[in-house]
Amino acid sequence: MLHLLRTEWLKLKNYPGFWWLMGMTVLSYPGINGMFYFVYKTETSNSKQAAQLLKMLLGNPFEFPEVFRTAAFLSSCFVTVPALLVIMLITNEYTYKTNRQNVIDGWSRNEFLIAKFFNVVIISLIVAALYSIVTLSIGFINTGADVKDKFQLANYVGLFALQTFAQLTFAFLLGLLIKRAFIALGVFIFYKIPVENISAELLKKYVHPEAGRFLPTESSDLLTPVPAFLGRFDPKVYDYSLSIINQQVFITIAYLLIFWGLVFWIYKKRDL
Amino acid sequence: MSVLQVQDLKKTYGKIQALKGVSFEIPEGAVFGILGPNGSGKTTMLSIILDVLNADSGSYSWFGQPASPDLRKHIGSLLETPNFYHYLSAVNNLKITNSISGRGDAAAIEAVLHKVKLYERRDSRFSSYSLGMKQRLAIAAALLGDPQILVLDEPTNGLDPVGIMEIRELIIELSKKGHTIIMASHLLDEVEKVCTHVAILKTGTLITSGSVEDVLVDEDIVEIGAADLEQLKHVLSNYPGATSTTFNAQTIQLHFPKGTASAEAMNRYCFNNGIALQYLSIKKKRLEERFFELTNN
Repeated sequence: MLHLLRTEWLKLKNYPGFWWLMGMTVLSYPGINGMFYFVYKTETSNSKQAAQLLKMLLGNPFEFPEVFRTAAFLSSCFVTVPALLVIMLITNEYTYKTNRQNVIDGWSRNEFLIAKFFNVVIISLIVAALYSIVTLSIGFINTGADVKDKFQLANYVGLFALQTFAQLTFAFLLGLLIKRAFIALGVFIFYKIPVENISAELLKKYVHPEAGRFLPTESSDLLTPVPAFLGRFDPKVYDYSLSIINQQVFITIAYLLIFWGLVFWIYKKRDL
Repeated sequence: MSVLQVQDLKKTYGKIQALKGVSFEIPEGAVFGILGPNGSGKTTMLSIILDVLNADSGSYSWFGQPASPDLRKHIGSLLETPNFYHYLSAVNNLKITNSISGRGDAAAIEAVLHKVKLYERRDSRFSSYSLGMKQRLAIAAALLGDPQILVLDEPTNGLDPVGIMEIRELIIELSKKGHTIIMASHLLDEVEKVCTHVAILKTGTLITSGSVEDVLVDEDIVEIGAADLEQLKHVLSNYPGATSTTFNAQTIQLHFPKGTASAEAMNRYCFNNGIALQYLSIKKKRLEERFFELTNN
């Protein structure tokens, strides 16, 4: 396994595109959370009545333990950047035909995919680490010493990591199938935003009220529900979204098995 | 011992049958040329034996063992086009080849870059190379770690005449050292100069294979000349055993079944019939001529 990782590192360490996208990934997670945090602070920190009303309405979504949920939700919106990185890692191999050269040089097809699997795992872990750093930073800055159970929602680190891994796996599958980076990214965004949302609504309406949550990326999207302050607009839906998280974990794992199973099966059957 | 045994390989692309049951063996130490017009299935066959294409049916084995990634690691291969990471230098690309195959080390990387005359540009990005330089790097990757078997698909593609000559000399040198080289090429002259064995494919069918001598020689050709060509024609009109006669401006060619022509007998025959020959030679067919005959081009 180590030699697979070493070879992948040789491929990436001198690749400017990789470092640009990694840089964008590293900046985007603190960026999006920091931006919302500063907007919140700005809007609620003065003594005007409107600001105080807003504070009452929102509570403090950036305080422990709620910050775990808030940051997970906000961070999940930025999966497109690491998705592009993952797509690029596989489509580049097709563009340069290096995937076939790797096999010619002595890797099995499975070894090639295992190396890529670890790439996706490592990128997911980096994203999860970024989320954790941002969450802890904002949480410690913003939480008073009197708050107990600061890490009550620390399980969101695992949920966010699982969600990221599942969505990046879906991006990887698209990259493998489509072979062209920007078309694959376009399909990823198009599927995730309009297609799946519309499908979920249609399924909800015509098939079963809960059918939408079984869709490929919706299943993992639901691992990180909206922050509590947004839940106040419809407490019933919010409570329901919290109650299904454990089930979504199993559905997401099932999809992960299906996606990686497909990846290995397609690559075995396909001519390179 | 056979290095490679190919048994009844078949491959289709949609309705196109690229290989129609090809079988042959490659003996150890051979320089085995695979010839064929465009679309004859040469690259398809090499791609199958290197596991980048899946055959529809048939089998192949290296050294009598089923193909495996570990066996492939000991084969230096250049298939179709040089496939490298465009953003990496020659050295960094060869480090990847080394990391995957286990062939060679840092010193071997320097040595092969010297060998293919890329050492001065070793730190330049692959994307900045000319076509010939890319091909040289692909040859360097194949040579890395001095593998006993080389599979080279059109190795002289994009090379200048000096480069072509260098590759020819390299192949002859490697052959003398006992390496087995499997080479697909369009350049019949090159194949004729370096190959010990040859297989000819046409539209997915193996037309012939064997030693170059066996493939080239399907008949004996004796070419003779004399001062009085008309009298020579007359004398030879009844020469026993000749299957056909070709008349050229200065010489006459007589064709005989393989292994039956005798220069001595012909010389004596002409002399006994009052003709002193000025020229007598047993000719071989050129590979080019034989190739066109076999492929009906």
